[in-house]
Amino acid sequence: MMSGFECIALYLAMSVIAVLGMYIISVLLGPLRPKPNKQTPYECGVPLLDPSNKRYDVKYYVVGVLFLVFDLETVLIYPLASRFKEFAHYGWGAFFEVFIFVAILIAGLIYAIARGAIEWD
Amino acid sequence: MNWVIAIIKVVFIWTWCLLWATVMTWAERRGSAMIQDRLGPNRAGPFGLFQPIADGIKLFTKEEFRPKTARKILFNLGPILFAIPAFSAYAVIPFGDKIVIGGKEILLQVADVNIGFLYVLAIGALAVYGIVVGGWGSNNKYSILGGLRSTAQLISYEVPWGLALLAAVFVYGTFDLRQIALEQTGTFLGFLPNWGVFKQPLGFLIFTVAAYAEANRVPFDLPEAESEIVAGYHTEYGGMRLGLYLFGEYVNLYTLSALCVTLYFGAWNLPYIDMSKFLGPISYGIASFVVFWLKVMVFLLSFIWVRWTVPRFRYDQVMRLGWKTLIPLALFNLLITALFIQLTV
Repeated sequence: MMSGFECIALYLAMSVIAVLGMYIISVLLGPLRPKPNKQTPYECGVPLLDPSNKRYDVKYYVVGVLFLVFDLETVLIYPLASRFKEFAHYGWGAFFEVFIFVAILIAGLIYAIARGAIEWD
Repeated sequence: MNWVIAIIKVVFIWTWCLLWATVMTWAERRGSAMIQDRLGPNRAGPFGLFQPIADGIKLFTKEEFRPKTARKILFNLGPILFAIPAFSAYAVIPFGDKIVIGGKEILLQVADVNIGFLYVLAIGALAVYGIVVGGWGSNNKYSILGGLRSTAQLISYEVPWGLALLAAVFVYGTFDLRQIALEQTGTFLGFLPNWGVFKQPLGFLIFTVAAYAEANRVPFDLPEAESEIVAGYHTEYGGMRLGLYLFGEYVNLYTLSALCVTLYFGAWNLPYIDMSKFLGPISYGIASFVVFWLKVMVFLLSFIWVRWTVPRFRYDQVMRLGWKTLIPLALFNLLITALFIQLTV
């Protein structure tokens, strides 16, 4: 019997081949008539107003950092989650472990909100 | 022989997902027309059913032009990075129970692995790269803004999504999606079907809202809000490059719906009826496949229905909903679930 992971590899291979195939077929089938006007960056019907390399809001970066912290915390609870029912037989230890993790997350969330990390205007 | 079966399953379910993704493009246009009292595409074939084929041919034969200012490698890489994870995520989700042909039992699932759950989460998260690379590679201010917005939105909703799924793992005690499906037989509290949605009502709600955001669907289609940033991260794309983004999105919808059905709506189980008792081995396999598919279709149609019913959120509202409502709710749900299990064992 094939193990599951070989099937996943097969499925991934199928995706890669099909996507690259679609891409290459489309490049081969489509015409190629480059013109200077066609190759300018898109702007809403007027000549290019301003370039793309402007400055962007630092908020996006803050959200990225917050995500890292929260997602890592979540991932740390996953192994516990799958065995929680067994651990629950031995008393409240596992529950308090979950509680501590969630409490840290809530404290971090309150701090982030209080500092205005999620305020968009 | 095992290899042959595995290859047949892989090819079949892969094309099946793509087929329904294509049909969805038709259903979306017909559905929106029905809701807005128009006709929609009705010329190509009966009820315009061949419209997706015509669209596909059009996308394949379009010119693959690229703006001069675009970053060449990243621009080409974007759609591929988006489409491959989207097409691959279905590998571990079951599409039926099992079928017995010639004394040989075949599981209706491409790969039955004990960490299937984590595979879906991991592969699903990779799609962000396709969006941010495509947006950055286009080197157009609308594309970059769209890519940034999309990244912030996707990662913001991944946290409540993961937390809602985590609560489901608490309930089932396993990462194996087939095991999760098998546990949803029988009844719960004596009269309800033993489905995840009755054990995790809040978790299901959070999962659904976050899934709409993860799939970039209305009311969370901020990355491509056409009145603000044209078409967002795929402003500069055309031809099959655009096609890969669009198909990837619809295949994503199919995967998300199937995941929702597996976790919260009893997978292939019918309420109160045990099909395996009175159906033959082959007809049972087919019946479980059809039941699962019909449940997925209900969710797919609800995606269309919602799209043409609710207006789009503003960006600050999206972020507020994600961080100030969904994450605290998801954490609360997690604690309640853990407490409930602790008290009932």
